[in-house]
Amino acid sequence: MSEPVKCPVCGKKAKTGSAIDCARHMFGTGDKPHRAWVEAQGLSFIDLLLEQATTPGNRSYVVLAEIIEKTQERLPE
Amino acid sequence: MKKYSVINTHVHNVDGIAKVTGRAIYTFDVKLPGMLYGKILRSPHPHAKILDIDYGKALDLPGVIGVVTGKDTLGVKQGIWRRYQDLCDEQILPVDKVRYIGEPVAAVAAMTEEIAEQALDLIDVQYEVLPAVYEPLDAIKKEAPEIHEGFERNINVTRHIEWGDVEGAFDEAEYIREDWFKCGGQAHMCMETRAAVSSYTPDGKLTVYHSSQSPYYMRGLLAGVLGLKESSIRVISHYVGGGFGGKFELDGAIFCSAVLSMKLCRPVKIVFTREEDFIATKRRTPMSYYVRTGVKKDGTFCAREAKVFTNGGAYTGMGATALYLTGFFHSFPYRWKGYRYDGYRVYTNTLPSTSMRGFGAPQAMWCSEQQIEWIAADLGLDSIEMRRKNAHYSGYEVPDQASIASCGIDQCFDVVQKWIKEKGKLPENRAIGLSAAGFMSGGIFNWFDSPYSFSSAVVTINYDGTVELHVGAQDIGQGSNTTLAIICAEALGVKIEDIKVHSGDTDHCPADLGAWGSRQTLMAGNAVKMAAEDAKKQLLEVAYAQSGFNIVYDLDIKNRWVHALARPERGYDYAELVKKAIRGKDGQRIVGRGYYTPHRKGMISPAYSYMMQAVEVEIDKDTGKIKLIDSLTAHDCGQPINHLGLIGQLEGAFSMAAGYGYLEYMPYEDGKLMNPNLVDYKVMRATEMPEVPVAEIDTYEPEGPYGAKEAGEGLTNPTAAAIGNAIFHALGVQMKECPIKPEMIVNALNEKEAKEKEGKE
Repeated sequence: MSEPVKCPVCGKKAKTGSAIDCARHMFGTGDKPHRAWVEAQGLSFIDLLLEQATTPGNRSYVVLAEIIEKTQERLPE
Repeated sequence: MKKYSVINTHVHNVDGIAKVTGRAIYTFDVKLPGMLYGKILRSPHPHAKILDIDYGKALDLPGVIGVVTGKDTLGVKQGIWRRYQDLCDEQILPVDKVRYIGEPVAAVAAMTEEIAEQALDLIDVQYEVLPAVYEPLDAIKKEAPEIHEGFERNINVTRHIEWGDVEGAFDEAEYIREDWFKCGGQAHMCMETRAAVSSYTPDGKLTVYHSSQSPYYMRGLLAGVLGLKESSIRVISHYVGGGFGGKFELDGAIFCSAVLSMKLCRPVKIVFTREEDFIATKRRTPMSYYVRTGVKKDGTFCAREAKVFTNGGAYTGMGATALYLTGFFHSFPYRWKGYRYDGYRVYTNTLPSTSMRGFGAPQAMWCSEQQIEWIAADLGLDSIEMRRKNAHYSGYEVPDQASIASCGIDQCFDVVQKWIKEKGKLPENRAIGLSAAGFMSGGIFNWFDSPYSFSSAVVTINYDGTVELHVGAQDIGQGSNTTLAIICAEALGVKIEDIKVHSGDTDHCPADLGAWGSRQTLMAGNAVKMAAEDAKKQLLEVAYAQSGFNIVYDLDIKNRWVHALARPERGYDYAELVKKAIRGKDGQRIVGRGYYTPHRKGMISPAYSYMMQAVEVEIDKDTGKIKLIDSLTAHDCGQPINHLGLIGQLEGAFSMAAGYGYLEYMPYEDGKLMNPNLVDYKVMRATEMPEVPVAEIDTYEPEGPYGAKEAGEGLTNPTAAAIGNAIFHALGVQMKECPIKPEMIVNALNEKEAKEKEGKE
């Protein structure tokens, strides 16, 4: 079983431990450090948020979750 | 023997005589020696920088005593979400810029209201007008003006709720329907407009009479913006002429009167005109809803997804809570395998939106219950049976959100089904519309960051056996003082006339979060029950000591009669026992204390009420005019406590909710409300009200006092959708915008006719 995903910004463990929950946490928190992290990954926080708002489905969370998952390997224990 | 002596009997309001004889003193009636009258100058612009305010000429007007602007304040940005500083965004007298038409700019105190009004014309304000934006979907565009610094694309708050495998549940669905809806705003329309009398004295004490839903909140919020200790402020709200969610934040009346009084050291009274109440308070949140629902062909609900934009107006207010609750109650009262809600609250240059009776749920149910009715029609299913198949039940858990201990929705369906059957065939252009809902019984939100219990009560028994009941709960006309007196009398074993309720005074009553979120019966009721039981225990200890009974005999007090349960005929008068108990306590009165703070009750509420609204509606096809003919309200409020109060609350909720459904429009043009008066803004009148019979569905809620839960707010939720559904069944048109205007019906009928013609050709 894989390790639960932790927020790359504040270290908070996602509710179910999944990357998608971590992405939800990042959008939900939405403060400057979390936004800055998303921007640093080459994404626009606000554009992702608005895409989630204006199109059916869950694409923005999925996109962010994939990036979070990739960064987990680089996170310190 | 009857289970209860006082509960669910016909008890008249404990403050009824004071009200019907005109002796009740509302803030509007308060007069203090040396009192001045205040008026507020308001912004004519939806968005502008304040460059300069020159009030020299106003001060020269005979009778004007003082003027204040934002520069006379500490400039604190305040809000009720004290735990989240970002959401404290409102300076009630702004220092730098205005964000909606009607926002206060300056306030005048004068010898009379007329002089104060004249002085407003003599204040010269220099503005730099800024571009403004009024609709959420315009405000999120890149080129939209920035309303608050740091809020990118004007997004104020976002909320996300999700459970289950949503995509997987949609994959299981055999029928998917998606719809877009719009819901308008609504004015709280309290009989008593916002009003305050503030009196600051040189000893540093500020006393404020205020028409408020929560004196305790007012004290805390005022302390924050005025730089005073909470204990230096006394808020008095003995009688309040309605609140409906619009009176538990600071308003211009309380803030400006307090600032003027502190500057002048004289009492200052400000009473809003009806127009000010319309344009410069707050309103129900307008929302745009996208709803996608997946079901199986047999009507089993699989998944739902909702995306919502709300028009937040210029400030946060209670809008962030409404944003969450609309998403949560959009799932009610049904079970979804997968559920996802994304809510976005957007700042605009319009009147701020906030909480209003139903707290986001009426909008949610407008969309949900109509779409469910349409799905049933699309699939050829009975809509009540489809609802029943998917409804909550006692013991159900809303994933990660709520535990449902009691649920009477199934009995609501039965009662409504029987009523429809009895109605038989209806005349042409007439149909019955249905809508179900569930609602919280006491909001578990502590955005205010209160260190105190959510509700508290103190019961004091006098030498003659009468009882002083001190509560922090606020009676705003909903009858909570009567309900709490009933609970106290029942728990103590005395009569209702023995109880004197003291409320609405922060110096003399215990802290309580106030009248919002359908809290009072459950939360304050539990506190009162605990306090009365504490006092009763002290009395019974004395009774036991002197009875000589075997210790296994249980003693009780009922109807002022102290007796052993096994031999109720043998006993003695309660007043005798009280006298002995007070003598035995060295002359001290008997005091009982109680409180309620929710623990391990989920995120939203300790309990949930359930209901179904049925409305018979007639529509004039030529004019689109709607007439409500009859109705039935089936309501599960647990054990009813205050029978007459319950009926009054349900009738009132129906009236307000029906008004939202088809009468109460708030049209804006360039940020200006076009109907800020009771001629052009239509509320339900007696002649438009149908009969509102109530079918009480009695369940037992383990968390409620005597099994009671919410009544009066929840029923604001289903009614608008029930009207929409009646129109659907009568004419075959789907109304997606609320309130429903006659021209919308005519247009929909024309469109339908054109489509039918097209199909034939």
